[in-house]
Amino acid sequence: MKNNKAKSFLEKESVAGVVCTLPFTLGILLFILVPMGISLYYSLCDYNILSPPEFIGIDNYLEMFTDETFFKAIGVTFFYALISVPLRLVFALIVAMLLLNTTKATGFYRAAYYLPSIIGGSVAVSILWKRMFAVDGVINQLLGVIGIETDFAWLGNEKTAIWTLILLAVWQFGSSMLIFLSALKQIPTTLYEAARVDGAGKVRQFFKITLPLLTPTVFFNLVMQMIQGFLAFTQCYIITQGKPMDSTLFYTVYMYQQSFEFKHTGYGAAMAWVMLVIVGLITLILFATKRFWVYEDGV
Amino acid sequence: MKKQLSFALAGVMAVGMLAGCGGGTGSSGSTSESSDGTVNLTFTWWGNQTRNERTQAALDLYSEQNPGVTFDPQFAEWNDYWDKLATAAAGHSLPDIVQMDYSYLEQYVSNGLLVDLTPYIEDGTINVDNVDEGILNSGKVGDGIYALCNGVNVPALLYNKTLLDEAGITIKDNMTMGEFIAVCKEVYEKTGYKTNIAYIDYFCRAYDEIIYESDSIGASQETLEAFYSLYEDGINEGWLLDPSVFAEVTVGSVEQDPMVYGSSPETMSWCFLAHSNQLTAAKSAAPEGMEIGMTTWPSADPAKSDFLKPSQFFAITVDSENPDEAAKVLDFITNSVECNNILLGERGVPISSEVSNAISENMSEDDRNIITFINEVVTPNSSTISPPAPTAASEAYNLNRNLVEKVCYGELTAAEAAQQMYEEGNEIMAG
Repeated sequence: MKNNKAKSFLEKESVAGVVCTLPFTLGILLFILVPMGISLYYSLCDYNILSPPEFIGIDNYLEMFTDETFFKAIGVTFFYALISVPLRLVFALIVAMLLLNTTKATGFYRAAYYLPSIIGGSVAVSILWKRMFAVDGVINQLLGVIGIETDFAWLGNEKTAIWTLILLAVWQFGSSMLIFLSALKQIPTTLYEAARVDGAGKVRQFFKITLPLLTPTVFFNLVMQMIQGFLAFTQCYIITQGKPMDSTLFYTVYMYQQSFEFKHTGYGAAMAWVMLVIVGLITLILFATKRFWVYEDGV
Repeated sequence: MKKQLSFALAGVMAVGMLAGCGGGTGSSGSTSESSDGTVNLTFTWWGNQTRNERTQAALDLYSEQNPGVTFDPQFAEWNDYWDKLATAAAGHSLPDIVQMDYSYLEQYVSNGLLVDLTPYIEDGTINVDNVDEGILNSGKVGDGIYALCNGVNVPALLYNKTLLDEAGITIKDNMTMGEFIAVCKEVYEKTGYKTNIAYIDYFCRAYDEIIYESDSIGASQETLEAFYSLYEDGINEGWLLDPSVFAEVTVGSVEQDPMVYGSSPETMSWCFLAHSNQLTAAKSAAPEGMEIGMTTWPSADPAKSDFLKPSQFFAITVDSENPDEAAKVLDFITNSVECNNILLGERGVPISSEVSNAISENMSEDDRNIITFINEVVTPNSSTISPPAPTAASEAYNLNRNLVEKVCYGELTAAEAAQQMYEEGNEIMAG
């Protein structure tokens, strides 16, 4: 009898629902919300990581206004995100168009082009990248082969170092490409047939049919990639460490330095919250522009 | 039925996750003593390949002689090591035994993270009968001894002897800055090899100034300007290594130092401002056939600049659940001849005179040369080490690194850099 009661309690829809989502709920609580709360508290503290935090109010936030390196890092991060993300999307779209035609080898190519995205954020690829762009690296050697003998220090030059990071980001176009690919497949072929009958060429078809119908996907990719771009860390930390002269100092890497190297962990936490606000604002702005260029009537 | 199954699965997942959390805290770094009485100690250090191998072997020996004690050895490069340790400190999961540096000792002790070793020394757990009082006291902060020095060390300028011999250049000990620069120019003219300089604190000591005082920059603006001028002149005259070289390597890694790593004279240095205990690692990282010589660092006044340094320490952290066992390990490292026959003074000359005598016949010629170098070249011509730098110094180090970079790239003149270092540095140090 008792057993039955327990059984019927557990079989209730709501109970089953709660139990089934428990792992996820606990995960969010323990590993996201609680740490966020702690970080918010630290951001209001003088905290050197080695001894307990002391509450100081909003001083950390005020300090940012006088921190030149902070603004430098913001500048670098905006430059990186605003250039690498659109480039990556354009590239992803081009490759997706190329891979749209199905032949026997298409599957292989899709996998091959997706590969950099899986391994791209990893330490190993970053180290590889660093070696490739070294003075005696493969890039300079390849340039030598085509007749441009050079010992140019790509990573040591203030103008080029950031571009090596942007290039790495563009190379990781795989996940956007897959999303584009599936969206491209959803566009009804009848539209193209009709266009062809009306005499529209390939280029015109692309701009009048493909692109407008893809705008929701472009929007989605843009928002996701933009957020990722602002939060990039590994590439910079491994490849350039912000060198030369902070010209590649990503916001997140500066935050890391402040938190763990200079032992201004409270200031680092405050920086994290400012980043959250910045990313939030950018996302908001993107959403605000949505109605001007995103075609949402569906097909 | 289906519902029951899904419930059961969810339950299993939830339990699994909770168990995972539980396990996580247990293995977070510090000691765990399981019911059968075995002890596991986490032991961390920074270093190089030679050190990693030898330390691992020494710990294996301890486990062999003390059944039930096992180690979780962890090593990292210098920079990562300190980031990792700081994070572990925040999570109260510091390793049981940490390798400690003189420059970080003060901040770890003042934040209450290290165990006072005095009781262990008094009750004989750590035997220091054969240790020089001065060396023992180098680990002293306030009234307690918080870290046990594991070797004596001196700044050493390592150089590519093969290259200099071919060019017919000889190096003498206790070079002044002027003599050193003359050598740099000569090497550059004859061989194309460049030079990698210099350490600000060492430079300032020649003028009786301590760069990082407890709450200010202790160097005068003139001294700082003279320091940055070295870089300005070096770049203008061509003998200084281009700063872009450092964009491509892990700074602080012996294996990637421009003296042994690089593809052309343009990107390599004829010398390496190192410490005497890095000689072995530099030799094993050097390309086939490169002979390496050792002398003192250049300074305007070598006798004032040079110093004997506790190469590094071992300390027990407050997060250790087994400080008694950890203390025994420190005793083992300090006093066991067997253990030091494995380590062979790679970290520096062993501090126990008995041990250093006992292992000297097993030491390589290099290591014996180091002892001679320390005793006969540096000791008679050196001054006391500067006090350990305060916490704020780590940001000031970074400021200096950036300024040096800017001077090398021609963004700033030496005078501007000196002014910035003086003004911003003082702000940083004042907190």
